[in-house]
Amino acid sequence: MSKNSNHLSGKEVRAIAKENKRVIKSLEAYKNRKADESEYLGHMSDQNNILEIDNLHTYFFTEQGVVKAVNGVSFNIPKNTTVGVVGESGCGKSVTSMSVMRLIQGPAGQIYSGSIRFNAKEKNGESKVYDIAKMPIRDIHKIRGNQISMIFQEPMTSLNPVFTIGQQLDEVSFIHDPNATKESAKAKSIEMLELVGIAMPERVYNAFPHELSGGMRQRVMISMALASNPRLIIADEPTTALDVTIQAQILDLLRDLKTKIDGSIMLITHDLGVIAEMADYVVVMYAGRVIERGPVKEIFHNPLHPYTIGLQKSKPTLDSDSDTLFNIPGNVPNPVNMPNYCYFRERCSQCTKKCSGDYPDMVEVTPNHFVACHLYGGEDK
Amino acid sequence: MSEEIKNQEIDTDAILEVRNLRKCFPLKKTVTGKVTQELIAVDNVSFKLKAGETLGIVGESGCGKTTLGRTILKLHEATGGKIFFEGKDITDYNSKQMRDIRTKMQIIFQDPYSSLPPRSTVGGILSEPVEVHNIVPKEQVKDYVLDLMTKCGLRDYYYERYPHEFSGGQRQRSCIARALSVKPKLVICDEPVSALDVSIQAQIINLLKQLQNELNLTYVFISHDLSVVKFISDKIGVMYLGSMVEFGSKEDIFSNPLHPYTKALFSAIPHPDPDVKMNRIILKGDIPSPANSPKGCRFHTRCPHATDKCREVTPEYKDYGNGHCAACHLLG
Repeated sequence: MSKNSNHLSGKEVRAIAKENKRVIKSLEAYKNRKADESEYLGHMSDQNNILEIDNLHTYFFTEQGVVKAVNGVSFNIPKNTTVGVVGESGCGKSVTSMSVMRLIQGPAGQIYSGSIRFNAKEKNGESKVYDIAKMPIRDIHKIRGNQISMIFQEPMTSLNPVFTIGQQLDEVSFIHDPNATKESAKAKSIEMLELVGIAMPERVYNAFPHELSGGMRQRVMISMALASNPRLIIADEPTTALDVTIQAQILDLLRDLKTKIDGSIMLITHDLGVIAEMADYVVVMYAGRVIERGPVKEIFHNPLHPYTIGLQKSKPTLDSDSDTLFNIPGNVPNPVNMPNYCYFRERCSQCTKKCSGDYPDMVEVTPNHFVACHLYGGEDK
Repeated sequence: MSEEIKNQEIDTDAILEVRNLRKCFPLKKTVTGKVTQELIAVDNVSFKLKAGETLGIVGESGCGKTTLGRTILKLHEATGGKIFFEGKDITDYNSKQMRDIRTKMQIIFQDPYSSLPPRSTVGGILSEPVEVHNIVPKEQVKDYVLDLMTKCGLRDYYYERYPHEFSGGQRQRSCIARALSVKPKLVICDEPVSALDVSIQAQIINLLKQLQNELNLTYVFISHDLSVVKFISDKIGVMYLGSMVEFGSKEDIFSNPLHPYTKALFSAIPHPDPDVKMNRIILKGDIPSPANSPKGCRFHTRCPHATDKCREVTPEYKDYGNGHCAACHLLG
């Protein structure tokens, strides 16, 4: 690491700014265009999937250069399953979910390429496949908050402090159901509050967010996400801000709800314990890429990528009795100017000569268990 | 219990002893300054800690674990009870007397992003306490600091760098180095790893353990993560709404938890193995506000075994053998 590795000259800064401006302009124009529905309809590769993310690239165009926050991510979410996305901070797990919701903050953040195919079900029972990445931003309300809804990490900051819980919940019905009346919206909201296990829904309906505790607010957020009968719920670290005993309550509720609503959950977390408990299928991310994905039992009993193995070993558990913890040396690499070899090379203990070559491809080691590492499946290719 | 402990001799083995410590924050005052409502953040906490041991304090947010740590350091003035450090009663020390003791007790804060001054270099941050307290002669300060940095896993060329250039793990290493720069005996670690990623957490925990062995440090390790506390501690105290509900050696607490809250806390931790299906005790409701804590046993609003006695009478904090204390009516 040289002392001035992050330093840029004025000339370089101007060149980056000029290039960013050009790219952002064309991407913004594409985002704001008017388009016919046929332009962004697509086909699912498997009808059993509810969401297919295919080679997604989401970039942030900053003054220091392009940050490739999501750099070629692909995975599928089948119907009625919970897919857990796990990784450390800055690995792109939240940006992936924000891309699905098209909530990436522009103009700096842009979906650069790739496709996100969503298997939507219209009110008349007809199913349509939308490519979310290609949808103009003005049409996104067909899906966002309606067919896909999201539970955010911070229940403290994601509720509006100046409206009552009731007003905020009713809004969902008013926006997504053209026939909603005041009475029907209220009835629906109270039903939702009951569904998430709030004891006095009438009282909470008239309360302001500051009157509720953290666990209650997260329940309200969940009920808001459920109010539009979504087919997919994205839960972005739903329990990170909560205490363990409250976390246990919320996880129990989510598990219970999945069977009730007949939908899929994309669960984003950094806690392997939560993943083991909730998910059917796990996606491990590192520095903007998926490095391993597979069924939950495979990932926990037969982890393949050195990072997944390290991550599991470095978490102290209640039944381990060792004296020192295993640790992965070093830090997550700088997101600007990523190398083209394996991003984990500097921290990997099993690094070979091959690892200095190109970024490894995803290989299927056992059915449905994929890994991107040179240690596996190099020879038989 | 209180009489009994008060009459005991001061234990000279113990580096830190806390007796019936109480800390209240005033919430409402009348015009004349009389307190009409107060928040009891720490209530009647007692424990002893030997040199070289680690005490882990666990509990949910708002249970008073941070206040306890800060009161021990006298960053908050205690409302009642006594604090003994190395056999001396420091409860009523004034700030001048505290100055000599400050070098022996240090704290590592939770958030490494906000606890380092942004406008001085790491070298400056680490040299300042050394110079103020005359730890080493002036001309040796730089060597001493560089040596300390190596010990804490920071490269020597970081000396000239500013905190914003570092990652979370490196910042937390700087915080640890700063705490150790004055050669303390007792270090209060207030959630030192909860702001860090899992792979970095492991590095910091190992570093803390290794430094403890080298320098014979005593830690009070405050955390909400039971698995981390189990890994690092010799003794564990479980807090709920300001009071210590259970205290004992790590082995006792984990193999034989007595208090229903401790049991629920253990079962609430997600287990990183998909095959293990936990028989979970899910507590109902939320933690009551400490400004308006329930009568009787404070846990009775959420306790699955609560009886009428629990709602009326505050349970006594008793020793159930081998220094394993708990406060619950069910234990008889």
